[in-house]
Amino acid sequence: MASHTTKATARLRMTQQHLTGSSCKFTTSATSANLSKSAANINIKDVSSVSRGSKYTTEYKNYAVDGQNQVISWFHDVPLNLDIEAAEANIVVEIPRWSNAKFEIDTKSPGNPIVQDVKKGAVRFVKNLFPHHGYIHNYGALPQTWEDPTHKDEALDLYGDNDPVDVCEIGSAILTTGSVKRVKILGSIALIDDGELDWKVIVIDVNDPLAENVNDIHHLYTRCPGLLETTRQWFRDYKLADGKPQNKFAYNGQYRNKKETLQLIQDCNKSWYKLITGQTKGQKLPSIENATLVGTPGYNGGYRTQQLLVGKDETDAPIPVDIQRNHFIPTD
Amino acid sequence: MSYTTRQVAAANTLDYKVYLEKDGKVVSPFHDIPLYANEEKTILNMIVEVPRWTNAKLEISKEQKLNPIIQDTKKGKLRFVRNCFPHHGYIHNYGAFPQTWEDPNQIHPETKAKGDNDPLDVCEIGERVATVGEVKQVKVLGVMALLDEGETDWKVIVIDVHDPLAPKLNDIEDVETHLPGLLRATNEWFRIYKIPDGKPENQFAFSGECKNKKYAEEIISECAEAWDKLIKGESVDSKGIDLTNTTLSDSPTFSAAASKEIAAAAPAAAAPIDKSVDKWFFISGAH
Repeated sequence: MASHTTKATARLRMTQQHLTGSSCKFTTSATSANLSKSAANINIKDVSSVSRGSKYTTEYKNYAVDGQNQVISWFHDVPLNLDIEAAEANIVVEIPRWSNAKFEIDTKSPGNPIVQDVKKGAVRFVKNLFPHHGYIHNYGALPQTWEDPTHKDEALDLYGDNDPVDVCEIGSAILTTGSVKRVKILGSIALIDDGELDWKVIVIDVNDPLAENVNDIHHLYTRCPGLLETTRQWFRDYKLADGKPQNKFAYNGQYRNKKETLQLIQDCNKSWYKLITGQTKGQKLPSIENATLVGTPGYNGGYRTQQLLVGKDETDAPIPVDIQRNHFIPTD
Repeated sequence: MSYTTRQVAAANTLDYKVYLEKDGKVVSPFHDIPLYANEEKTILNMIVEVPRWTNAKLEISKEQKLNPIIQDTKKGKLRFVRNCFPHHGYIHNYGAFPQTWEDPNQIHPETKAKGDNDPLDVCEIGERVATVGEVKQVKVLGVMALLDEGETDWKVIVIDVHDPLAPKLNDIEDVETHLPGLLRATNEWFRIYKIPDGKPENQFAFSGECKNKKYAEEIISECAEAWDKLIKGESVDSKGIDLTNTTLSDSPTFSAAASKEIAAAAPAAAAPIDKSVDKWFFISGAH
C-alpha cells in the first residue's frame, strides 16, 4: 500500500511538473532505468491485445490494452524490463512462425497499433523462399528500444532503421500476433537493410522446454543444428523474390554473442529514452505519445481508448492465393 | 468429371472421414476414379490426401467401405508428421493415384523389395495449396524409390496441369531447372521424416536418384495392372482391402447400393491440433 502511495505521489508530481510548462524534467544524466520505474505499474501479465478491422486488410489494427482495457503503446508503454543478470527481457510478438503477413508496430500513429505493412496501397506479405514457409521464427520487437536513424554507429558507419529492435523467437510454440513474452537473450546478427542497420536479436521464450539448455548463441549450433545458418540465409535472401538484391550484414554476418547483444539492447534502450524524453529530435521520427511515462513530453494521461477502438473485431479477410507460391532461388 | 467431397465429423478427430462423390453418389477414390484422365494417358487423376504445409497424416482407408480419407492412427492416437527443420509439415500436396496398388505379393526386380500394399503415392509440386479430397489432373514428371521400413514405396513426382509452370515441365530434368533444390529437399524430407519418432533414416533405391518420366510411367502401369488383378479378385492375397465400388459393374465387388449405406454429410469445424505438432525437430547432419 505504501509503495502504491509513493508511486501515485511521484506520478502526480511529475504530471504537475509536466503541466506547469517545463518541457522535460529528465536530464541527460537520468537513465532509462529511472524512467522504467515510473512505468513499472504495467505488468506484462495484464497486457492483452484488441483487434479492429479484418486481418490482412489496411484497416486492421491490433492495440495493446492494460488491465483496465485502456489502450497503451506496444512501443513505449509495454516495459522492456531488461534483466542483464538473467539476460531476459520482454518482447512483443508481431508475426507468428510459418505465416506471411508482414505485421509490425506502427511507430507513427497514435497508440502504436500493430498493423500490416502497406506498399503501394496493398498489404505486404513475405514470399515463401523454398524450402521455407513464410517467416521461419516468431518475429517481433523489443519494446522501449529504438535504432536511432539520427545516430551513426561509428564502428559500422551506419545509421539505425528508425524502428524498435527486431527479435526472432526460436521456441517450439507458434506465438500469436499481439502477445507479450518474457524471453532469454541469446545473440544477434546485424542486417543491413536498404543501407540501414537492422539488428535481429535471437531469443527464446523463457517457458520453452529448450530455454534452460541454451544460454548463449553458440549453444544453438549443437541444440538446433542448421538454425543459425538458415536464419542468416533467410534474411540475406528473403527480398530476392521481390526483385530486390540480397541483403548484406555487418560484422561479416557473424553472430554476436549474448554479452554483446545485451550491450546492444542497452544502447537501443538509451536511444529510445532520448527519443521519448524529447532529447532526440528530427524529421520522420516515431510518435512519442504514450500513456504511462509520466513526465515525458509525449505523456498523454491515457489514450482516448473509445476513439481508437472504434468499430469491431472483424473476421479475417482471405489471404491472396498467390501468397501460397514457393519461390525457388538458386543459392549456394 | 467433377468430383466433390462428403465430409463427416471434424478434421483432426478420430471420426473424421472425407468421401468422394460424383453427382451425389459416393465413389471409392481407390477403385472408382479412373487413373487416366484422357485417352492418350498423358493426364492422370490424383487424389489429394494431405495439403502442403500440414501435418495430419491423412490417407485413403483400405479397410472401410468406399475407402474414405481418414487420419491414420497409432495406438489409438491421431498421427501427425513431425516438422523436420527447415520444413513445415508435408512439403508437397501429397496423395495417391486411383486404381493403382503396390502389390505386397510381388518383389520389385530393381528395388528388391515388396510393395507397401497401398495405392501409389504422389507428390504434386504446383504452387497452389490443395484441399483434402481434391481430385487433380496432373502430369507425370518422375519417380523416387523410397525404401520405407523394407518396403518399396514409390513417390511419383507430378504437377497439376493447370499450374502456370506445367507447360514448362515435361520430364524430371525440367524440375531442377525451374524448381532448383526441390528434388534434393524431397529426398531429404523422405529420408528424415520418421527420425523424430525414433525410427532410423529411410533409404532410397538408385542412390536416391529421381528416375525420369518414362520410368515413372512404367511403374504406374505396373501398379495399375496389380490393381486390375486385385479388383477382379485375381490377386494372390488382397490383404483385407475393401474392394466395394459403385461404378465398375463388371467387377465382383460392384454394388450400386453401397453409396446409400454411407453416412450423410456432417461437416464440422476443424478441431484444434495439439500444440506439440508445432514443434520443429532439428536433425543433426541432415543437411
